Amino acid sequence: MIASLVTISFAFLAAGALLAFVPSRTDATHRVTYGAFAFAGVAALFAAAWSLAAPQTLGALPMTPAFFFGIIGAGTLLASIYAVGYLPLYRDTYALPWLAAAFAVFIIGMEAVVLAPSVLLFLVSWEVMSVAAYFLVIADSSESSLHAGLVYLIMTQIGFAAIASGLLLLADGAPFATWPMVAQTASHLSPPELAIAFVLLLIGFGSKAGLVPFHQWLPHAHPQAPSHASALLSGVMLKVALFGFLVSLSFFPSIPLPLAALVIALGLLSAFFGALHAAVEDDLKRLLAWSSIENMGLIFSALGVVLAVAAMPSSPLSAAVAAGAAVFVVLHTLNHFLFKSGLFFAAGTIAAKTHTRDLDALGGLAARWPFFSGVVLALSLSAAALPPLGTFFGEWVYLQSLALGFAAPMPLAVVALVMLGTIGLVGGLSIFAFSKLFSTAFLGRARSARAENPGTLSPSLIIPPLVGAVALMGSSLLAFPLLSSIGAASARSIFSDTTIAPGAAMNAWLVSGLLVAALGIVFLGRRALVSARGVRVTGTWDCGAPLSPRMEQTATGFAAPIRFFFRAIVLARKEFIVEPVVASNPWIAERQLLWSVASFWERFFYQPISALVLRAARTMRSLQSGVVQLYLLFMLVALILVLVIAL
Amino acid sequence: MNLSSLTMLLAESAAVMLAAPLVVGTVHLVKARFQNRRGASIVQPYWALASLLRKEMTVPEHSSWVFRFVPYVVLATTIVLAVVVPSAGIGAWPAAASNIFLVAALATLGSVFLALGGMDTGSTFGNMGANREMTLVALAEPALLIVLATLAFFAGSANLDGIVAFFAAAPWRASMLMALPTLLALLLVVLAENARYPVDNPATHLELTMVHEAMVLEYSGPYLAALEYASALRLTAFGSLFMNIVFPFGIATVGTGVEMLAVGVLSLVLKLGFFALLIGSLESLLVKMRFYRMQEYFTLAFLIAFAGAVLAFAHTF
Repeated sequence: MIASLVTISFAFLAAGALLAFVPSRTDATHRVTYGAFAFAGVAALFAAAWSLAAPQTLGALPMTPAFFFGIIGAGTLLASIYAVGYLPLYRDTYALPWLAAAFAVFIIGMEAVVLAPSVLLFLVSWEVMSVAAYFLVIADSSESSLHAGLVYLIMTQIGFAAIASGLLLLADGAPFATWPMVAQTASHLSPPELAIAFVLLLIGFGSKAGLVPFHQWLPHAHPQAPSHASALLSGVMLKVALFGFLVSLSFFPSIPLPLAALVIALGLLSAFFGALHAAVEDDLKRLLAWSSIENMGLIFSALGVVLAVAAMPSSPLSAAVAAGAAVFVVLHTLNHFLFKSGLFFAAGTIAAKTHTRDLDALGGLAARWPFFSGVVLALSLSAAALPPLGTFFGEWVYLQSLALGFAAPMPLAVVALVMLGTIGLVGGLSIFAFSKLFSTAFLGRARSARAENPGTLSPSLIIPPLVGAVALMGSSLLAFPLLSSIGAASARSIFSDTTIAPGAAMNAWLVSGLLVAALGIVFLGRRALVSARGVRVTGTWDCGAPLSPRMEQTATGFAAPIRFFFRAIVLARKEFIVEPVVASNPWIAERQLLWSVASFWERFFYQPISALVLRAARTMRSLQSGVVQLYLLFMLVALILVLVIAL
Repeated sequence: MNLSSLTMLLAESAAVMLAAPLVVGTVHLVKARFQNRRGASIVQPYWALASLLRKEMTVPEHSSWVFRFVPYVVLATTIVLAVVVPSAGIGAWPAAASNIFLVAALATLGSVFLALGGMDTGSTFGNMGANREMTLVALAEPALLIVLATLAFFAGSANLDGIVAFFAAAPWRASMLMALPTLLALLLVVLAENARYPVDNPATHLELTMVHEAMVLEYSGPYLAALEYASALRLTAFGSLFMNIVFPFGIATVGTGVEMLAVGVLSLVLKLGFFALLIGSLESLLVKMRFYRMQEYFTLAFLIAFAGAVLAFAHTF
């Protein structure tokens, strides 16, 4: 039964891709196509839920693939519903049938990656997914999309090479080896070989997951895709990369501490750079892409904690820390999928209706779309990991585990301390980034004419983010009861405190209940204390001169303090150019403010490498003088060298 | 008759919520005396709130539902913060309610909504206050988390009730000596979280230097009353947390005699009085720092908190 659900999922994706090419004068083809995709998503979701709920069923997927398969299914469902209302707005920009085909192949690739039983199938599916994603990125065939697509394609091929060599190294060169056989051969490898394979796999999967320093492509590529695809790229494909890394970890007989520390370090670096760039970013979708880097960094750092604990002698304390970090990985994978795809849907809607992704040109949308803005507010609070939404409770487990780590022996306690401080800063920056996102896009006055009259929203544009927000509320209330049921934490009933270690307890029902009760008291208090006198709408305090939207702070202005405080890291540059128009009067002048932020890694990692390569190429060029005799000499020398080495 | 959880909860919530304007009144009085003024009576804030409640409300034309929603959320989160933080007594709440990270997140949630209110005015003053507030939140977060986690490490318990119970049981001088840097960092964070000197000037009349006051600039009448009260309540909540750790005396516990509750409330009033004196004196003796030097302040707070944590680790091994 589960197997047939999986087959149905694949079949509907393939059928939908073919259906998309049936010509029709109305939206009928488009709707049927995405209806088929949505159905494929439902089938995948059911297959996953069934496997998780009844693992003994015939054909049930193992736990980890089932979890990720479910995320792919849910993502496909939401993105397809969204596409029904979203893509017709872009009829002239995209070739809809081809886009639908790329979308279907992309999802088929992701589903196949999760289900793949052997090295070769995994690699082929991975490549199908990656290449289909390339066509999603370049879908609008604009100059910037093509550039982003090229960068993406180069990075993904480097990553693929690393993954392929890493897996084949573990499998001892046997491409058809199934996963148990890979684990078998890997157990005979020497520690240096294992270490090389580990680093290769970390680079490969890490480059797909957007880990620093292989993240450069992500903030360019993800925002360029149409928004229903961006949601899947950021919300789901990054999770598939995580899945690949988890699968390959299971082949290693043991992972030495330095490699675990490397995972933690890369994770924290990614989280920091992601959050910092999200805080100073002005492009709505690119901000979300940076935040994906941050969140994947947090997940990888927690994964590193689990690996590090496994590499050390075990104690009750380390077991509690590792359990907490593992719980965070699971919860945050789910929560990040929910809020990030929801926010990408919302960003797509805003961009489609206002024709801009620039936060500096938005504003005032909350007055036009009250309900939609409430949904986005909930998603933004969730992205900022604030209570009472699900993300907070996931991050709570992680923070609490690190705080438990303070009781570890000396060097480890300081590691836990540094991690807690870093994650505190990352959390603070992401709160900054998402309060900036919501307040500059939705609050105050519209900063451009398009944002003034954005039009109305169809249900298909509102439902997917709404589902995300509701699910995040559910994931806060149900996460801990579910954890208790699988033994990851302990609680007496679903409403009582969940304890992850002595002295560390949390209760989502209590938190939500307290907040709701306090809100109720304040509402009632207002009705009791304040006479029902009306509210007068007046002008904003303007110091006597009429206010215009241009006087409002933009997103750029909002982030100015962060750009200033972290100027050495975001490489902020600000220049005020004054050119006098009349020579006699210095006050009549044209003034221009130039400012920029740049990528630290591009300047100090990629540019030196490319400069080195170019210099090497230039040095080589001097050999290429075009003199035939010289080439003959080279060949002779090469022949002699080969003979010397061979004999 | 022994103290039940419910009695304790109601009594200490009532004590904190009633005392909040008094704390602000005392701070004002202390500052007035430092300035050689006679100053208003310490009950003046109650009258100010009462008159705000009777006034008509005005709402700026370019605002949305968020602007009207903000006072409710800010006040509600602050009330939750104030009732779960140990004040007159401990033990009334389940352990999860006063978890350190929850308390930090609730404080942040209030700040975020306050900033949203400032952004929903369409005026640069509100905007400026909002982005400054969010910057302060972002920079204060590492020090705040480290301080709270270090206190939890001392106490072996991640909830504030457990932390206060630990300091109440430990010998005072030894535990203070051990926790000195951590408590100093806590004070720095508390000053920042409550928009006090040297981070923000709560009494300024110049919009350009405001943080908290700039965000509430457009609020009037009952909404302003709610936000002013929330800010007083937040100061009181952080004050009772700080004082209960520094002077962990006379704290009632659930299960002891009812008379302990009276002792608890009385000592809370004394502690808050001392806290108001401390804040008032600090605000009279310190100068406000430039906003663009705030990273120095928070780096200092972070380093002190870090040193406090390392000292704590070294002490135990």
